[in-house]
Amino acid sequence: MAEPILQVDNLHLSFVSGGQKTPVVRGLSYTLEKGKVLAVVGESGSGKTVQALSILNLLPPGGHVDGGKIGYNGKNLLTLKPAALRQIRGKKIAMIFQDPSSSLNPVLTIGEQLTETLQAHQKISKSIARQKAAKLLTQVGIADAEKRLDEYPFQFSGGMCQRVMIAMALLLNPDILIADEPTTALDVTVQAQILKLLKTLQQQNGMSVIFITHNLAVAAQIADEVLVLYAGQCMEYAPAKSLFKNPLHPYTQGLLGSLASIHTKPDRLPAIAGNPPLPGEELPGCPFAPRCPHVLEKCRTACPAFVKKEGRYVRCFLQEGK
Amino acid sequence: MTAPLVIQQLCKIYVRKPFWGKRVEKTVLTGIDLTLQKGKVLGLVGESGCGKSTLCKVILGIEPATSGLVQINGQDTAVFSTKQWRALRRQMQVVYQDPYASLDPRFTVRQLLSEPLDIHGLYRGKSSRETYLRELLSSVQLDPVFLDRYPHAFSGGQRQRIAIARALALKPDILIADEPVSALDVSVQAQILNLLKEIQQKRQLSMLFVTHDFAVARFLCDEIAVMHQGKIVEHAPADKLFTHPQQPYTQKLLAAVPSVKGGQL
Repeated sequence: MAEPILQVDNLHLSFVSGGQKTPVVRGLSYTLEKGKVLAVVGESGSGKTVQALSILNLLPPGGHVDGGKIGYNGKNLLTLKPAALRQIRGKKIAMIFQDPSSSLNPVLTIGEQLTETLQAHQKISKSIARQKAAKLLTQVGIADAEKRLDEYPFQFSGGMCQRVMIAMALLLNPDILIADEPTTALDVTVQAQILKLLKTLQQQNGMSVIFITHNLAVAAQIADEVLVLYAGQCMEYAPAKSLFKNPLHPYTQGLLGSLASIHTKPDRLPAIAGNPPLPGEELPGCPFAPRCPHVLEKCRTACPAFVKKEGRYVRCFLQEGK
Repeated sequence: MTAPLVIQQLCKIYVRKPFWGKRVEKTVLTGIDLTLQKGKVLGLVGESGCGKSTLCKVILGIEPATSGLVQINGQDTAVFSTKQWRALRRQMQVVYQDPYASLDPRFTVRQLLSEPLDIHGLYRGKSSRETYLRELLSSVQLDPVFLDRYPHAFSGGQRQRIAIARALALKPDILIADEPVSALDVSVQAQILNLLKEIQQKRQLSMLFVTHDFAVARFLCDEIAVMHQGKIVEHAPADKLFTHPQQPYTQKLLAAVPSVKGGQL
């Protein structure tokens, strides 16, 4: 058993707007182990991005932490003072965002943006910071790095911008990298390159990664463990191999079953009926109950517990009895 | 019998003439040859920026072609008047990628679906209109009670159903679908794909299906054309393309598609 590096415990998050409170994450718990990749999989509105933002206290306006704990190095990140958190944010825990072209500052050169990060955390001269930045750009596969440091983001393609974002996140050799849909805006061939790059760098540096995605196939390629979120709750949390081979929760089963594949051509796709619940919708029982093909009477009124079963966790009454 | 859509040697060049300096030409489409057979689904697959959407715009008459021929139901659209275009829109309709952007937020579903009927003067009687609107909504598996709601009350998947209903309102025989599922949630994509397939088969629609997702193309398309930098690099029956891709570019694309069963990198 590897040592845990980040522990999220019973996290509750909500958004407040117009005096109305909408819960978005409801009792989320997981453990990130050192040197592992944890994929957080979910649809839009499932809370996958919000829970990651709360780790670094980056919740957008209106976002509130209602309870829970995020343990890192014996500290609770949720109660840390801003100055103390600043020492961790970017240095120990770094983040890559979804859309590379809008996450980079268009009026600063790539070099200025990279050295800014370095100089904010370390007392080093500009020229050394520049050397370090160039070295990292080379490491993420950007040729002619020294010259490209003086270029602006618009001179880079989408894939190249994402490489710059990765380089920026890795500058200070963080313990944990949070990657929020890092390949969603990219073409498949570029996506494959970026995934390979992330995996290589992760293994080289012994980094732990939280990889957020809505794409199960991408999760299957990169993750050691997978957390499936639905309507702000964790439905299933298991090692990637067993999850993809034998999904226990009806939602995971439905998702995996409904994917089109390049290898077969079925007449119909086994789709999950209905729509995901809207944020703020009253969910007295299991959030998946209205769409679940195996729904029981009690699913509609009571929410099943998150139970451990053979080294994995699942939230479903069907699995409790077995 | 003529094919519903024939494209020959189509080129599209965007020209920009700055106030100072030389004029800049950007070639977006070069020498496109495509034929959509009646009642078939032709998939157009390619990476972003390859010209898929520009090709759709030229076919729909939103952008003029620089050279080449676009023939719809046997008529050359290059010489079309506005009136002829309007008549053509009863035969050809489009479903766009993002149902959050393609539906007017100030229109109710009833208004959204009625607009094309009003323009073309169809189902003018009150009761026949009502019956037809209800029929339309049920054909996309939505409850007719939704007629008087606004788009904001619907989820992404439901909105895309409304967009499809609107496209079907005039009973076209050609449907252009520009990435109709890529903006939808994973658990809803399969529903919409099933719906599109069912409607296509039931109405014998000829469909041009634009996507960047090979898995989706495999499910829906009879033939697939792979685009790269404004050219069609490979065009083959779907089964053949997936089992025996000929061009190195197609092979590279297919190899990069991640799969749940593919295992770890």
